[in-house]
Amino acid sequence: MVVNNLKLLVGGVQLRDAVTTVTDILGKLFMRAGLHVLAMERGYASTIYGAHQFDPLVVSASAPLSYGDDRTDILVALEHDANPDSSIQPNRDTILRHGKNLKEGGVLIYDNSAETVETGELQARGIKVFPLPARRIAQRELKLEVTKNTIVTGALLRLLEFDMDYVLFGAYLEGRFLSKGRGVVDINLEAARRGRAAVEEILSGNGWESVGYRLEPQPSAEPNLLLTGNEAVAMGSILAGCRFYSGYPITPATSILEFLDVHMPRYGGRVLQGQNERESMRAAIGASIAGVRSAVGSSGPGISLKIEELGLAGATETPLVIIDTQRAGPATGMPTKSEQGDLAMAIYAGHGEIPRIVLSAGTIEECYSLAFEAFDLADKYQCPVFLLSDLTLTDGRQNLPQSFFTENQKPIVRHGLVRASDVRGDGYHRFEMTESGISPRSIVGTPDAIFKVSGTEHDETGLITTDPSKRKAIFEKRMRKMQTYLKEDAKPPQVFGSPDGVPLLIGWGSTKMPLLDAQARLRAEGIDTCLIYFTHIWPFPVHLVQPLLRQGSMLIVVEQNYAGQLADVIQQECLVETRRVLKYNGRPFYTADIAGGVRQVLAGGTRVVRVGEEAPDAAIETVPEGD
Amino acid sequence: MSAASPETARLWEKNAFPRHRIQWCPGCGDFGVLAALKTALVRIGVSPHEVLLVGGIGCSGQTRNYLNGNGFHGTHGGPLGYALGAKMAVPDLTVIALAGDGDTLAIGMESFIHVCRRDPAMTLIMMNNGVYGLTRGQDSPTTGLGQIMEEHTEEHPPFVDPARLAITAGATFVAQSFSGDPKHCAEIYAQAFRHPGFAMVNDFSPCVTYNKFNTSGWYREHSEHIPDGHDASDKAAAWALLDDFDRRGKLPLGVIYRAPRHKKAHARLPVWEEELAGIDPEPMFSVFR
Repeated sequence: MVVNNLKLLVGGVQLRDAVTTVTDILGKLFMRAGLHVLAMERGYASTIYGAHQFDPLVVSASAPLSYGDDRTDILVALEHDANPDSSIQPNRDTILRHGKNLKEGGVLIYDNSAETVETGELQARGIKVFPLPARRIAQRELKLEVTKNTIVTGALLRLLEFDMDYVLFGAYLEGRFLSKGRGVVDINLEAARRGRAAVEEILSGNGWESVGYRLEPQPSAEPNLLLTGNEAVAMGSILAGCRFYSGYPITPATSILEFLDVHMPRYGGRVLQGQNERESMRAAIGASIAGVRSAVGSSGPGISLKIEELGLAGATETPLVIIDTQRAGPATGMPTKSEQGDLAMAIYAGHGEIPRIVLSAGTIEECYSLAFEAFDLADKYQCPVFLLSDLTLTDGRQNLPQSFFTENQKPIVRHGLVRASDVRGDGYHRFEMTESGISPRSIVGTPDAIFKVSGTEHDETGLITTDPSKRKAIFEKRMRKMQTYLKEDAKPPQVFGSPDGVPLLIGWGSTKMPLLDAQARLRAEGIDTCLIYFTHIWPFPVHLVQPLLRQGSMLIVVEQNYAGQLADVIQQECLVETRRVLKYNGRPFYTADIAGGVRQVLAGGTRVVRVGEEAPDAAIETVPEGD
Repeated sequence: MSAASPETARLWEKNAFPRHRIQWCPGCGDFGVLAALKTALVRIGVSPHEVLLVGGIGCSGQTRNYLNGNGFHGTHGGPLGYALGAKMAVPDLTVIALAGDGDTLAIGMESFIHVCRRDPAMTLIMMNNGVYGLTRGQDSPTTGLGQIMEEHTEEHPPFVDPARLAITAGATFVAQSFSGDPKHCAEIYAQAFRHPGFAMVNDFSPCVTYNKFNTSGWYREHSEHIPDGHDASDKAAAWALLDDFDRRGKLPLGVIYRAPRHKKAHARLPVWEEELAGIDPEPMFSVFR
């Protein structure tokens, strides 16, 4: 019997089957029972309706290090009939796609309302199969088709011997549906009982006492929150004092816009859905020059459109947080697939040179905590600050103790804002020359501190000039802020393990958890490594990084892009050679990808290992040494 | 906003600090706009610190440097976007975008249309000279005003009529003025600043260097003040007026269309630490439990 440790995958037809409704309900129930929930790979397509959708959910007694690989304990196929648009019967589709990853002794539960699928091969592998006519029961017996997923939920609760008295489930239903009337709650409870009855029948028909998996509640001292990376960024932004956010709908950044649209007004803020990416950026710049902490969010294609205004924000020294939820590029790329392909853009994009700061979150915790830093740094250094995340993080969900959020809620400090009482006469210059490069900032409406701000080159008063010495002085003043940042606020990378004489695994973004997982797996095989993990990428803190890198025997940068963008930055800034393990097929890095890639690099002969889904434990393409 | 006072007049008479050398060509129509702006700002009784002047790229964008008041100067096509953000942040602020015809109607066209639709309480003074002056005389979207063309080609399409476009897009105040008559301009601007929605003033401001057709003399000959009896609150009357002036080969000067508008007032966005302190995360936490 496996207790409190399983990976469950729910699959179905996008939009029609409400795949994530099932995982969201289960996730909340398991979390409320004190279990740990992690759902980091949400499989969906860039179509509205009809594509295959899946959502794996890891449930465990202690916080899981990562989603591991694509091995599944319990597979739930929600489809119920043949999709007329597909040559493949969709039920078979989910089972065909994910059935091969079912572990021996695993469980398959599928909707057989339309037909019963041939599963002899799976049964031969010791997999217990539960055909469940959920849709038929919902339609014919309960006369309400939407209850079909509650029937499946009831079946799963029975299989896992979890919440059998529906204490948690009943409370969930009441919280969600009581406003619509008692009847809605009751019919859902009835649906769950039907699902349970169907499972009981199959269990007794096969003479099975249980399916070998069980979830047991663990007492939890404090409430937990189950949220996505985007929700963590959005909540962090509000708590960090952001009061103006503008965006244009784009996958996977849209959920930030949606969350803030609901919650920002409660805190006195406003949200603008601009008519395009550039207008969103301009409005945010406008709010920022008015003194408000403001932010924009988008993904790669939208960030590309914002680059003109990025340069302006840098030249006018306007504080602005830019959230880039990276997705697979280039161009429109794969809107629903993850990649770490925008680092070079965040660091270098734009004509001319501007001061900018690039932060990158690697976990949902960091999505939250780095939001505070992003707004603080933008304010202090009066420049654009990128906060990078990627699709794996933006849509991934994880439970975290509520105390994590309260403990990391930092007080808001407004830096360098000029108050009316600070100004004497007509002496205010917006771009005053200072040693730190940071000038006192007046906000609109301050008497005697009227500002002139221009993106065209200007002198310290803000008026336009092309005088060579004034140009040189103002340029140096602007860029000097980055030296101040490196001295005062740059953070070294996080270090896991001792770097002395061992290969250094280097990463950034959502690969953090699989990297830690791979490090543990390699250690179990006797391969010791040290993980160097970056959150503060630009300006690159050479003085903090170089001493670390010198201690390792070899640098292996693991990234989800083709070239190895962080590896390039490290080579350029630190003048050291890097090796690379890269993946860019749209799927996240699995532990096995990283462990396999690292093994291959260590075995010698390869400088770049490119891994893919089809052969997760082996490189599919390698670049030999000296290439 | 209070009424005009000698004190506000004194503040507006001061140039931007420090005095900026005016870079317009001698005789430029924009001098008239500058003079009228000062008069109108004094008339509505705002102090320079209560005003944000957002400049566009081009000769028009310089205006913000030649008078007092907060100034911001961004990208080509961008003025209305920054102005919108600032106005959303500080509703009490008098926000004025000073942009040219190219800035507004070429690269900034979608910004223009959508700001008309959103109808924020701010003003656009479009300094329309029918030409790209700063880049030395290329066509702008309003090039060709009043000229008889044998046929329009792809290279030289017919000109855009900003007044018709603004009314169609939803602007609630649409007016025209001629910078050669700064007194009238000042009157129109003051009305625009007081309007509780988006006010578009299409200001004919001749380019003496590159537009040899739409000269001051030409504008004097081809423009007329809108007659007193015009009911600007009637959209059909506004269209009829535009058509009537067109037929007569004249440009109407004055308020063409003004819709009564009752904007929902909103509070200034929080800025200072004390306004941002004591944030209660509970309403957000409860969503995720």
